[in-house]
Amino acid sequence: MVEVKTLVSNPVLVIGAGVAGLTAATQLADFGIRTVLVDRLPIVGGNAMDLYKAFPTDDCSYCFEGSRLRPGIRKCFYRSAILDQPNIDLKVNTEVTEISGSPGKFQAKLSVGPQYIDSKKCIMCGLCIECSNAFCLPSPQCQPQAVIYDPEMSDEGAKKAEEECPTKAINLGAQPSEETIQVSDIVIATGYHEMKPVSIDEYGYGKIPNVVTQLELAQILDPNGKSGGALVRPSDGGQVKRVMMVQCVGSRDENYYPFCSKICCVYALKHANIITLERDGTQVTVVYMDIRTYDRHERYYRVARDAGVRFVRGRVSRLEACADGTLDIIAYDSLLDKYLKFNVDLFVLSSALEPPKGSAELIESLSLHPASGFVGPADLTSENAVVAADHVYVCGAATGPAEIPESVTQARAVVSMILQSRK
Amino acid sequence: MANNKSAVLVCTCGKQLQLDYELIKNAVSKMKLAASVTVHDLVCQEEGLAKISELIDKHDGRVVIAACTNQKLQPRIDEYLKSDGKNSTQLQYVNIREHSAWVHENQEEATRKSIDMIRGVLARSAGSTLRQVEKKNVPSHVTIVGGGIAGIEAALSLSNLGYDVTLIELEEELGGHVIHLPVVAPTDKSGKEILAGRLDALQKNKGINVMTKTRVKFVEGEMGSFTVHYTTDGDEDEKTIGTSAIVMATGFREFKPTMMDEYRYGKNPDVLTQFELSCMLSEGALARPSDGEEVKDIVMVQCVGSRNEEYKRDCSKLCCTFAIDNSLSIIERVPDAKIRVIYMDIRVPFEHEMIYKESRDKGVDYIRGRISRVWEKDGKTHVQFYDSLLNQYFEVTPDLVVLSSAILPPDGTRELSETLGYLIEDDGHIKELYGKLRRNETRRRGVVAVGGVTRPQFVSEAVTDAQAGALMLHTELQGGSIESVARGAVLNVDDCVGCSLCAQQCPRGVPLMIEQTDIEEEDEEQKFVFIASIDTLLCHACGVCQSLCPTGATQLNFLSNEQLWSEIEATLEGAGPDYPITLCFYCEECSVSTIDIVGTRKMNYPASTRLIPVPCAGRVSIIDILKALESGASTVMIAACETDRCHIGGTGNEIAQVQVDVAREILTAIGWKGKRVDMFRMFSAEPERFTTAINEMVKRAKELGPTPVHQGTSGKWMEASK
Ligand SMILES: Cc1cc2nc3c(=O)[nH]c(=O)nc-3n(C[C@H](O)[C@H](O)[C@H](O)COP(=O)(O)OP(=O)(O)OC[C@H]3O[C@@H](n4cnc5c(N)ncnc54)[C@H](O)[C@@H]3O)c2cc1C
Ligand code: SF4
Ligand code: SF4
Ligand code: SF4
Ligand code: SF4
Ligand code: SF4
Repeated sequence: MVEVKTLVSNPVLVIGAGVAGLTAATQLADFGIRTVLVDRLPIVGGNAMDLYKAFPTDDCSYCFEGSRLRPGIRKCFYRSAILDQPNIDLKVNTEVTEISGSPGKFQAKLSVGPQYIDSKKCIMCGLCIECSNAFCLPSPQCQPQAVIYDPEMSDEGAKKAEEECPTKAINLGAQPSEETIQVSDIVIATGYHEMKPVSIDEYGYGKIPNVVTQLELAQILDPNGKSGGALVRPSDGGQVKRVMMVQCVGSRDENYYPFCSKICCVYALKHANIITLERDGTQVTVVYMDIRTYDRHERYYRVARDAGVRFVRGRVSRLEACADGTLDIIAYDSLLDKYLKFNVDLFVLSSALEPPKGSAELIESLSLHPASGFVGPADLTSENAVVAADHVYVCGAATGPAEIPESVTQARAVVSMILQSRK
Repeated sequence: MANNKSAVLVCTCGKQLQLDYELIKNAVSKMKLAASVTVHDLVCQEEGLAKISELIDKHDGRVVIAACTNQKLQPRIDEYLKSDGKNSTQLQYVNIREHSAWVHENQEEATRKSIDMIRGVLARSAGSTLRQVEKKNVPSHVTIVGGGIAGIEAALSLSNLGYDVTLIELEEELGGHVIHLPVVAPTDKSGKEILAGRLDALQKNKGINVMTKTRVKFVEGEMGSFTVHYTTDGDEDEKTIGTSAIVMATGFREFKPTMMDEYRYGKNPDVLTQFELSCMLSEGALARPSDGEEVKDIVMVQCVGSRNEEYKRDCSKLCCTFAIDNSLSIIERVPDAKIRVIYMDIRVPFEHEMIYKESRDKGVDYIRGRISRVWEKDGKTHVQFYDSLLNQYFEVTPDLVVLSSAILPPDGTRELSETLGYLIEDDGHIKELYGKLRRNETRRRGVVAVGGVTRPQFVSEAVTDAQAGALMLHTELQGGSIESVARGAVLNVDDCVGCSLCAQQCPRGVPLMIEQTDIEEEDEEQKFVFIASIDTLLCHACGVCQSLCPTGATQLNFLSNEQLWSEIEATLEGAGPDYPITLCFYCEECSVSTIDIVGTRKMNYPASTRLIPVPCAGRVSIIDILKALESGASTVMIAACETDRCHIGGTGNEIAQVQVDVAREILTAIGWKGKRVDMFRMFSAEPERFTTAINEMVKRAKELGPTPVHQGTSGKWMEASK
């Protein structure tokens, strides 16, 4: 007979609270394993927080699996009850600064940012937001469900909010702190960062406001965002009529990242389809080398072609900003062997997915195998993608560009392996 | 009922809600089902939680909490009460914040709405029953069907987790396709090397019983008590094993394109599939099948049968990588080999791109285009292809033509689905429970699917899948002692008439129809050959069976018909033509989220709306809808998850749609206006879906005017169960 509910005293440290880290932590907690879940951002969810609708199901990106505390097939972040899970110690605004010790007995030094808001106390009543611009609700779906405070924006009203907050959740004088914890296992779920292609001169990113990345486009399309989901030009809020997307920006490119970022084709077409089918009368053109919509994602390619998205196999050879905010573009079509001229309102870069800041240090401090800067498996021959080293596991986009379903499956595999090792 | 009154705890949310609490207090204290009313400033904080605990003691668990969304509050309260040793299963919630105060500008109207909803929930609370933790022991044994890499990994994982495992394989040898792969990218190792460690571990493991040359015929029973029927080694005699859960790991099948005339596969021996080439390479026997001659010139054709409307619409994902791996293997053996790959898109994920680059550097020629035909002449194989970049046709005479043929689901997937109860995707693979987050579970509890049988997967993905699938079963079986609060459908066997609607329509296949063997001859009239059986511990608590059951035999133990009907009636007390009310049933999954987010964003909508939660839209029956109209509602709407996104397993919302459609037909037939009832799909990323829907129904309530109920011209509906 298997004994499940024993509370194993050795906690697990999960670094990164995106969908992968969240899944790992909740599953571990369900099995009675204490988990310290850290993220450097003030809220959990990682990149999934900003995606609006997700493939392959085309519903919200901010949901993840239920747990014993919240049974069901899936739950939105806001109702995930992470904060009330007795086995999870969530630490946001926190970074792991040093890891020492040996497998099974790691010491992790955490640097915890100032906890201005006690998120267990905050009831989102909105009083502080009325008083001062330094407070805001990062998203209606945010987890913890609490406001955040930006000390840089502090004003007179902030003091008043601190005094009047009905739950006394605000502490403007909060200080950063440090602590060292001992953990038996480490789960790396640090995800990815979408490259900001400022150094690729020809696209003018960072200089021309109407040149954005796919992640930035997702936020423009989000009905919970600033424009209420209307597709508008960042430069002047004007309506967008023509969009061009260009694939493999920084990926498959020896000058930046030689690998393929694997999912940008799928989300580019996801966006192209939303724009074409749900935002009236906008024309999308996609410039690509290969369209990589694996497996059932092929549906997005079929829908795109049927919806009238234009595909140009080739590359963009010139981009010029016009006075009226539009962009003149010349693209080479290798199938037609011709140069084509376009004028668009919005130019969207499918920019490479790169390892997040701090990955190299983490890999180094735990002597892991790098895979193009992401975390590779300890032993290639075993085909065990989630085992990074003795008592060190990896899941989600920390293994390399990954979609949500994969990230979640990997997180479960990690928990499976940890439980197996403890039998 | 001795005492069905509840204590009401109303929260002011730190005095921040614009509601008239005096009025609420007065109105509620006059309600006949209210035992007491307490207004509290912070129900969610320590002091408030202690108050709830105190009220539970005083009122035998019957407490109604009117505060913010229960989606956040309930887990916190449950945890608090659990550590306090209290049972929280009878608590009921009314959302007066996101669903009222935050979305209605008019304080008076919002207050009135809140009072109505509290009255409704008091009625629900009056009918509530206490639920306890129940235990059930099941054998800690799992059966795995399929002994490829995913099946082997699942066996090892489950064994490590403490289960006895039976691993069933059709062939003589374990290892599936992987054993034949000459190299598995990106490892540089052969399939045999990758399997070696696992086969070794399998051998040493006493808890895993391997049965090769064995075929699973069918399966009976449910999670915790499946019986697997199988035959071994051509022996026709069927044998059985009992098992608690099943892992489907039957892998995939490579498409054999004999019917695609243009490739001459099956006719010309020098036309192979990519997997056949792999087998040849891993046996170290690269030669022309027709005459055993050396192979120097090869044409590979991508997307054979894939991305093709006739055979397989989607991409097979692996074949580009396989073609590259095999090209590199060939070049290693025959450095001056000429390899041309004819393709539409080369699809190689992540670091496989670097292997693609390596192959190009080593001279593999990638030609974007397509094959026009293959034929034989003068003992040679001729291939004509079109190069779309050069816009030109070419003709070559290769030694081998290798077809990167589609990856299809294995044989027998559909047959086994009939007794295993999983659903099938359009492409024939096993359908996952929910594509974004529940890839390994199937619709059927206790049956998971891992590896290629769910979709084309690389080796490492299949391994990960198997490890994850093992965890999902472990979560379900809890090592053999299942323990949970029985929240779900409870069957009153005496009322069942054996219609089998529940068994047919349950999204998760929980109700089983059991043959009655001991029926007495005399009551021929009364005899039902089959009677339903429902294990509440396996139930997902959607209430679909309840809304369909003609006799009320199956009902949710937390939301009986009586409970919902009395709630509808109480909520709508006083609803009339002067202030037309729209009643909205909303599922407590995507709809509650959408409505909560509308609240958090403080998006306004009319206050002439009353909201009643149901676990799944499929819980709402035609009778419930008609009851709402009978009680004075002017329009009724159901808020549900998107098509094919039901949280229960895909169909609860579709059943609700049928109920709504039928209700509309009935209404139209009896001279009402069918438009008074409608259903809307939503998810929280698009909150305006709810506001648009409810605005529409409020508008219809006004436009359609008083209902026959308001005018006193309608009779009362008979309840079907009476
Ligand atoms: C434009 C775009 C659209 C997409 N659309 C979809 C889609 O439709 N469907 C889909 O399935 N996928 C989509 N994806 C992919 C999806 O974002 C990822 O699969 C998913 O977010 C991966 O989750 P994760 O938890 O692995 O990583 P992340 O979401 O990146 O989370 C990692 C977390 O770790 C934290 N972190 C990192 N390093 C540290 C550190 N050293 N210390 C502490 N914390 C750290 C980060 O702050 C972050 O919160 C899309 C991606 C992009 C760019
Ligand atoms: S005033 Fe206090 S409780 Fe209200 S939102 Fe601000 S921090 Fe949260
Ligand atoms: S997924 Fe598509 S856009 Fe992204 S790097 Fe790969 S080929 Fe380029
Ligand atoms: S993996 Fe390559 S060959 Fe296979 S179906 Fe997809 S695009 Fe075609
Ligand atoms: S409540 Fe739903 S899951 Fe449970 S038996 Fe009935 S139909 Fe099936
Ligand atoms: S729907 Fe009701 S009557 Fe019909 S089989 Fe199920 S429980 Fe029995």
